[in-house]
Amino acid sequence: MEKIDKINGRNPFKVPDGYFEEVNRNIMSITTGKKVEAKKQGLYLRLRSYIAIAASVAVLAIMTYTGTKLFSPHDETLSLSTITTGLYPEYLLNGIDILTIEEEAILMELPLTEPEIGKKDIIDYLLLENIDINELQEQL
Amino acid sequence: MNSHKADSDIFDLIEVDPDKGFRLIVDRYSVRLYWHIRRLVILHEDANDALQNTFINAWRNISNFQSKSALYTWLYAIATNEALALINKRARNSGISLDDLGSWFANSVEGSTWFDGDEAQVKLQNAILKLPEKQRIVFNLKYYEDMTYDDMSRILKTSVGALKASYHHAVKKIENILSAI
Repeated sequence: MEKIDKINGRNPFKVPDGYFEEVNRNIMSITTGKKVEAKKQGLYLRLRSYIAIAASVAVLAIMTYTGTKLFSPHDETLSLSTITTGLYPEYLLNGIDILTIEEEAILMELPLTEPEIGKKDIIDYLLLENIDINELQEQL
Repeated sequence: MNSHKADSDIFDLIEVDPDKGFRLIVDRYSVRLYWHIRRLVILHEDANDALQNTFINAWRNISNFQSKSALYTWLYAIATNEALALINKRARNSGISLDDLGSWFANSVEGSTWFDGDEAQVKLQNAILKLPEKQRIVFNLKYYEDMTYDDMSRILKTSVGALKASYHHAVKKIENILSAI
């Protein structure tokens, strides 16, 4: 009869490398809720993605702040018609037609609907301008 | 293996800092409990689940735990229950009877990535898996861990005499199985 003593009591099972360190961290995380750091030198690697996100957010915030400072009017009480080219830094005006800006400002102040003109308005206008109606008919 | 009276240091620490105290328990017992569970459930993935459930249960009940000298056997009892619960669950889910589950495990042993035993070890594991559940637990605790019958009695809530008889029968059965191969 074969005796089991002949078979050494060596453990025939094995586990993945680093398993016990990992499972201990998991257990602490799901019980006490506190994650145990694997290695101090691994801190940067584990936080690398968070650092990248934080850096991106910081750059975006700086760009937004700078853009706001550069392109927003300093005095918000100014109306469009009172804005002068002096408020714009000279380098921002390169390549921009100043007249276009001023024309756009005028257009912005025009009423959107034209007033109705009646026959009486036309006659008054012609009398005001001393235009002879007969002469006007001959030209037409 | 004697009861771990040294575990009183853990409870001293738990009173001051529960998290650090529990971490000491995990560090001290996770490896041993894993291997105890693994020999019962065979598969690494199952052992991993049962081990984590064991410590979750221990953490939930640690404040109610009074007998400071029996932490070791208390943890082993939880681990054993978790392993048996997992075995029963596997039997229910797979539709395999508990009697046939040993054969299913035996097939799993040889095909497992996490088994590197030689031919004799495979034969021994297959023979152990043919034992009734309780005998299998007793045999593993004695053969692989050299646990005292007193500690086993606390874990399995069985008399020392019954455990000795159980181990004796288990050894005889295994020797008969091995000689028949």
